[in-house]
Amino acid sequence: MNSVEMKHIIKRYPLVTAVDDVDFCVESGEIHCLLGENGAGKTTLMKILYGMTMPDGGSILVNGQETDFRNPNDAIHSGLSMVHQHFQLVPVLSVAENVVVGQEGQAFFHFNKKKAVQEVQQLIERYGFHIDATKKVGELSVGEQQRVEIIKALYRKAKILILDEPTAVLTPQEVEELFVVMREMRSMGITIIIITHKLKEAVEISDHVSVMRDGKMIQSGIPTAQCTVESLANMMVGRQMSLSSTRRTKNKGDVVAELKNLTVVKKGKKVVDNVSFSIHAGEIFGIAGVEGNGQTELIEALTGLIRPESMSLKVDGKQLHGGANGFLRGGVGHVPENRNTRGLISQMTVAENMILGYHRTERFSKKGILNLGEIHAFAKQGIADYAIKVPNENELVSSLSGGNQQKVVISRVFSENPRFIVVAQPTRGVDVGAMEYIHDVLLNLRDAGAAILLISADLDEVIRLSDTLSVIYEGKLVSTTPADTLTELQIGQLMLTGSNEEVEER
Amino acid sequence: MGIESLLLTTLRMSIPLVIAAMGGIFATRSGMMAMGLESMMLFGAFGAVWCSYLTGNVFLGFLTGVLFGMVFGLTYAVLTIRFQVNQVIGGIALNLFTVACTTVLMQFVWGNAGNSPAVNSLEGSVNIGILAEIPVIGPVLSGMSINFYIAILLIAATTFVMFHTCFGLRLRMIGENPTAASTLGIKVRGYKYLAMLICGALAGFAGAYLSIDQLNMFSKDMIAGKGYIVVVMLALGKYNPVGAALAALLFGFSDALQINLQQMFSVPAQLVQMLPYIVTILVITFAVRHVKGPAGTGKLPEE
Repeated sequence: MNSVEMKHIIKRYPLVTAVDDVDFCVESGEIHCLLGENGAGKTTLMKILYGMTMPDGGSILVNGQETDFRNPNDAIHSGLSMVHQHFQLVPVLSVAENVVVGQEGQAFFHFNKKKAVQEVQQLIERYGFHIDATKKVGELSVGEQQRVEIIKALYRKAKILILDEPTAVLTPQEVEELFVVMREMRSMGITIIIITHKLKEAVEISDHVSVMRDGKMIQSGIPTAQCTVESLANMMVGRQMSLSSTRRTKNKGDVVAELKNLTVVKKGKKVVDNVSFSIHAGEIFGIAGVEGNGQTELIEALTGLIRPESMSLKVDGKQLHGGANGFLRGGVGHVPENRNTRGLISQMTVAENMILGYHRTERFSKKGILNLGEIHAFAKQGIADYAIKVPNENELVSSLSGGNQQKVVISRVFSENPRFIVVAQPTRGVDVGAMEYIHDVLLNLRDAGAAILLISADLDEVIRLSDTLSVIYEGKLVSTTPADTLTELQIGQLMLTGSNEEVEER
Repeated sequence: MGIESLLLTTLRMSIPLVIAAMGGIFATRSGMMAMGLESMMLFGAFGAVWCSYLTGNVFLGFLTGVLFGMVFGLTYAVLTIRFQVNQVIGGIALNLFTVACTTVLMQFVWGNAGNSPAVNSLEGSVNIGILAEIPVIGPVLSGMSINFYIAILLIAATTFVMFHTCFGLRLRMIGENPTAASTLGIKVRGYKYLAMLICGALAGFAGAYLSIDQLNMFSKDMIAGKGYIVVVMLALGKYNPVGAALAALLFGFSDALQINLQQMFSVPAQLVQMLPYIVTILVITFAVRHVKGPAGTGKLPEE
């Protein structure tokens, strides 16, 4: 029997049809992978199933029964549960409170905290998670928070569990643990739908795969045994892809950027602890790590956004001083972690965004008056050079897709030919096509002799691009090795524990 | 100045702040800024006097005050939830509107846009036998109206509801992360409306206290920024009922000091009347800079 049957689902938004006449079936008790790029409509489809978004057409059957979910509550009552990509947890409340809220199973006018903690702790133990139910969620690691989300679903006796990009924030070890849990849940008869764009994981965990692209279902319910990473990639993108190809540096030059003794103290804690490195011309120095291990502060210090406790940064032998502006002039380029907060002003045009920070250079303004002709010519050139999909340079940046927004940032930073570039999360939230393109641009820039510091939470990306790979753990660089010396699993181990020694299998 | 009279005035001045603050806690904890408190208090104060004027019944006066407060609590909720007006702007707009509205109504009802005539108000105090015999505190307590005890009960009730009921848990969840609450099937908007009704009721009650307990009339703009002061108090008390009540005492004390200073020295009254507002500025500058309100303040669940 099918747990879920969605037929002819349509969802239109003012500018796009997010889900275009999609059929989707999931067998009972299987792990079904819904594959597709960012913006392919996977999440929208699942939100429709979960009653969070109303479809414009189509019908949904859950366990053979026609449904008409008006809100998540209806879906929960039918045994559905969804773990969102951005965890829906309240950091200041305890694990137990986060789990039971909404279905406390207690008298409305009296909430017995102890009883709730007891129930949740039992559930946690039954699944072999090691979490204290009285702890505040804000004190847990990302992996543990995800387990709280799963516990939330189990507490609600979910029969169908939707996981939206569950592995995006996890280390390889945590992914393995998650897969163990998923298999155990399957053996208990729970149907699992996992949304992802990671092909390897789809092949590893699922029983069937469905692929979406541009709001359409390309292939539905193919047995995973018949799939390869390559065949899925081609379905997902609609053309041949070279996902694993890369090239290492051939002409490493002199040291361009030399960092010594960087220490950043925040709230009395050393978040970056005496970090030193040097990056050569024509080298990509990649830093992998679980988010929140000092990457943000490292980036901020290197780009002059914060003043660290101690730091000496030389670019081409010259000591850098001052704030962000001084660093920019000193030849440090910055592709920020979060393009929406630091990279772009979304309510300004593409042209304006392309000269941000360089607007005072002689080329773009004289005595405070902008040279609009030059700015527009420059923006047009950037749009052409970086294949940015936009009708013209006067469009607001907010109307662009994530990938094209990122290209605007990159075209701005790279056009100034910085000697040393700090590149953080360059492909977060962009589609595979744009990712391939951005990787190519980075490699070209390196080959042209730039020194690049790459910081990314996407381990595949760091491994693919880095000539030298370092791992940051609790503010320290715990390992720095030439490319391809460590295995993915070893790197994951370093990211999680800060050391490379074998630990007991849990 | 006698310590007893200072203490008595402090407590009396704190009562409306405490009552309004408990309402404010329901609002802020559900992610609704308490910016509209001033309007709910002012309209409550007006409604209480109006009803007492018409019926001569003080109890009905209080009831009307509560209802009038609820009307504006609901209005604020409709503006910010249904029409998604920015909460600060919506609150300030309502506050300004109420000053104008009550002034017009006063002209309409009493033919005087400055003051209402004197009306029946809550007289007398409650004496609890044993308490009256405690030195210093006893005489002070025996001078307090029933509303003093109601205020204390409200602190306890708010604490209980907020932290020991499922309702409170859900409300706090909504205030912190409305989307999370909504994904668990909690009807976020409904709870927010309910919270604003409770907030309006208590703010209206606080307004009624000011007009027909502390005084026996309504005068133009008689809340005079107390609604805003409560907003600051809430932050100072970290959005906890007991904390907010202690903060209310601080502001009540500065008010009492101001009144006593006016009687003692021959300085211009306006000068000392600034005291509570100066305390407010000091508190904003030094004490509440790092206090964070609920993380989901002003947000509605994402679609």
